[in-house]
Amino acid sequence: MTPSLPPKTPPRWIERLLHATLAGAVYRDEIVGDLHEAYGRMHGRCIRPVLVLWYFAEGFRLSMRYTARRLASWPHTRHSAASSSKGTAMDRLTMDLRFALRSLAKRPLLSATVVVTLALGIGTNAAVFGIIDKLMIHPYAMRDVDRVVMPVTTSPTYVGHRETVSPADFLDWRRDLAGGTIDHLSAIQWWDANLVGRDEPERVLGFFVSSDFFAVLDAVPALGRTFVREEETIGNDKRVVLSDGLWKRRFGADPAVVGKPIRVDGGERIVVGVMPPGFDFPMKAEMWAPLSFDEETARRRSSHYLTVIGRLAAGRSVSDAQAQMTVIAQRLTREHPDTNRLLSARVYTLSAGMVDAGMPPILSLWQAAGLFVLLIACANIANLLLARGAERGREIAIRLALGSSRARIVRNAFLESGLLALAAVPVALGVAWAFIRVVYVFMPGRVVRFIAGWERLGVDIRLVAVTTAIGVLAAIASATLPALQMARGHVGDALKSDGRTGRGTKSQRLRRGLVVAEIALVLPLLVAAMLSISTVTRYFTNWQGYDPNRVLVLRAVLPEPHYATDDSRRRFVASSIEAIRSVASVDDVAIANILPAQDSNVVRRIEIAGQPQVDPANTPRADFRAVSPSYFAVLRVPILAGRAFASSDSATSQRVAIVTESMARKYWPKEDAIGHQVRAGSDEFATVVGVCGDVIHDWFDSRNVPTMFRPITQSPTGDLILAVRTSGDPLAIIDDVRRAIAGVDRAQPLFDIMPMRQMLAEKTIGLQYIAGLMAVFAGLALVLALLGLYAVMTYLVAQRVREIGVRIALGATASDVTRLTLRQAAWLTAVGVAVGLTLALALGRAMEAGLLGIVSSDARLSAALALALATTALAASYLPARRAASIDPIVALREE
Amino acid sequence: MPPADIYLGELEQLLLLIVLRLGDDAYANPIREALATAARRRIARGALYTALERLERKGCLRSTLGDPLPERGGRARRYFTVTSAGIRALKRSRRVLLGLWDGLESQLEPS
Repeated sequence: MTPSLPPKTPPRWIERLLHATLAGAVYRDEIVGDLHEAYGRMHGRCIRPVLVLWYFAEGFRLSMRYTARRLASWPHTRHSAASSSKGTAMDRLTMDLRFALRSLAKRPLLSATVVVTLALGIGTNAAVFGIIDKLMIHPYAMRDVDRVVMPVTTSPTYVGHRETVSPADFLDWRRDLAGGTIDHLSAIQWWDANLVGRDEPERVLGFFVSSDFFAVLDAVPALGRTFVREEETIGNDKRVVLSDGLWKRRFGADPAVVGKPIRVDGGERIVVGVMPPGFDFPMKAEMWAPLSFDEETARRRSSHYLTVIGRLAAGRSVSDAQAQMTVIAQRLTREHPDTNRLLSARVYTLSAGMVDAGMPPILSLWQAAGLFVLLIACANIANLLLARGAERGREIAIRLALGSSRARIVRNAFLESGLLALAAVPVALGVAWAFIRVVYVFMPGRVVRFIAGWERLGVDIRLVAVTTAIGVLAAIASATLPALQMARGHVGDALKSDGRTGRGTKSQRLRRGLVVAEIALVLPLLVAAMLSISTVTRYFTNWQGYDPNRVLVLRAVLPEPHYATDDSRRRFVASSIEAIRSVASVDDVAIANILPAQDSNVVRRIEIAGQPQVDPANTPRADFRAVSPSYFAVLRVPILAGRAFASSDSATSQRVAIVTESMARKYWPKEDAIGHQVRAGSDEFATVVGVCGDVIHDWFDSRNVPTMFRPITQSPTGDLILAVRTSGDPLAIIDDVRRAIAGVDRAQPLFDIMPMRQMLAEKTIGLQYIAGLMAVFAGLALVLALLGLYAVMTYLVAQRVREIGVRIALGATASDVTRLTLRQAAWLTAVGVAVGLTLALALGRAMEAGLLGIVSSDARLSAALALALATTALAASYLPARRAASIDPIVALREE
Repeated sequence: MPPADIYLGELEQLLLLIVLRLGDDAYANPIREALATAARRRIARGALYTALERLERKGCLRSTLGDPLPERGGRARRYFTVTSAGIRALKRSRRVLLGLWDGLESQLEPS
């Protein structure tokens, strides 16, 4: 039996490929045949793999050669044999470039308009990208930041389904993860530290952190050391690490401070290290101290307040960590069903984990708005280019008649818009820079530190790349229609006519379509902007349940060692109230743990006497406030039933509580709340003595959250906020109030001092940003669209000069002609508005869903805006209409 | 009508001569082999086709298709013949070359 010989033909697929790539060759079939024959000849002289390789190499060289030739002679492909001798591809490109530059320079106004329009569209988009990039994609500049992860507790009952971690869970996680997918694990707890020393007492933002904290972030101290595990125990934890900024500001950059004690929170802590400049994680922290738990806290699973971060072990991924964390969480659920029954764990990257839940919908809203503006800009440019194409109908017809291919005309059109885009990119970068600057500057400094990446907002290489990419896309998008339109023209028609009326109805229809699209895109933007603006004003001007005018707020955190007992805290509260009341022009003062619109909140589990706890893993919660008796009077919160707190509600008297109307309705729906018993957390039961009006704490919480008040005498706290009502300007009394407090405790720092109105404004900064930017986008879109409409109407009038001349000659009056033109504009506007309304309704719904329900879509508002837009659009076309009416029939008819 | 004077490059002269020599069997593969053996010129396949195309465009070559052949995967050969214009161009360049050679034999003849 003879071994089967390898086939004498080359591999079919390579041959087919070769055939395809030789598309432009004159002897295409014969070349493939020759190579086929040569393959057969070589057959038997060498082994098949070598033969196939040889065949492939020959075929490859051939196809490269012909592809290169085809590219070089494009767009002359079809008659390549005839024209490939007329200069190289490069020559032709240079020629076309020069031609494009010349024709752009011939119409400088048009070119400038296109560049500016493009730059506005591209710039706004680039800016939004820049913001998204810094705030969401790359919020941290730390080394290897993608190795840092953030495990969180999740539960279907939490808002946003995620939550901070309880101490016991954290300790279990850390034990179980050791040697696993996450190398270092650290918990972080907020720490408002009071720094006392050479200067004025100062409140410094610090964090309690586990010993592995610095290892997680791969951070090495500039001086001294960081923490060790032994320092996580009570007694050994009186240590502190300083930030570079604090070290320079408070300690004069003295290296000898390491190893020395400093006075913090009324006690002493030994400085063990100083971090290098630039290390301020998280939230511009200036001080870090060891996080320690006493035995009781270490067993606690029901209170969640720790943020946990970890570093992935070498070679492990986020999904590896997620898998292990899921297993650990399931075990904890089995072992502690009472607290962990509904809980699970989820591992985020640091960047994803730290992003505020409200941020993505806001940023995507901006991106969508930016995209709308860009689309409108592109439509405008397409319109301008179409008009230009129509003007150049004759020129193009002549070029076609002289043998230029349509492909070349299309190429020229793209080249021209490409050049315009190239010119627009630097301008767009300027626009983006200005945009980002404005966004940056308006953010209050106090809020900045809560937004990771904010400090680094600016123009960088990534932004330049994206801007250029958007520019190219915009150039292609705006040049496609005009280019095709130009190339489609019929040579004979164009040459026969006068070049102005020759580009028939098709181009006009296209231009009208573009204007309709522009108007349709503007309306949803206007509606979105107005919705956000009305939400902001509603929050500022509507009654929020209290009166924030002429109130000064101040915060004070009483240091634990100094104010260890409830009595000492009560004394501070009582003396401070007395001292501040004596300040001139102060009407009254209240002290509480939390004020409305403050950036923090206290939520506690509650238990209603006589109402059984249904599910220990899912207990009812309420906002908890400890307040001085004057609270309701100072903030003008109405007492709806019963009484307010009085000075007789002391530490020793009957335990009392006041609940908000919504809480009373929720838990005692059929009866009077007064007289019932309620308790927060593990406090004693207190008797409800009054019902007060609801207070809106968060702008994004449109619901009235059940809130429970206790006298601060019966529930003392060290974290205080003071509200001082004055008869004059709140800012004028700051120094007097400071002096009054210093008279009570010289070492007690005060911070976050501002009028309550300002606190409210800062609280809603996000909303103001949404409204402000949406207004900018909408305004930009409106101007662009109106310009587009104006341009098209002017063009349409110019096209009909003769016809209008005839009409006037035959007896049409000026108002007839104006009406004729306006009717045309009205049609375009009506169709655009109709489409736009549909889009606006959809966008309103999306905003309602995306922005936590703070925005409610409003059909009346949409209708009003539609009407306003239609009116403005008609006004924009009035000028061209007037011009049409003033046409002199004799001039118009002579123009032929 | 081909233009009166056609100037030929060296490769073009070689190709025309080889096509003349090959006679009825002048298609790409033997032309390339002859170029390699007789003229010691190894050129890329693509370069050969380009040159043949060019000569045909200049009017020096004419090509005809043969019958489809199984050893070529059912494709035909393209046979080339030299046109009268091609002959004229060859004669012309020969004349020019000989004229230039004239009198230089003593310097250039191998000794």
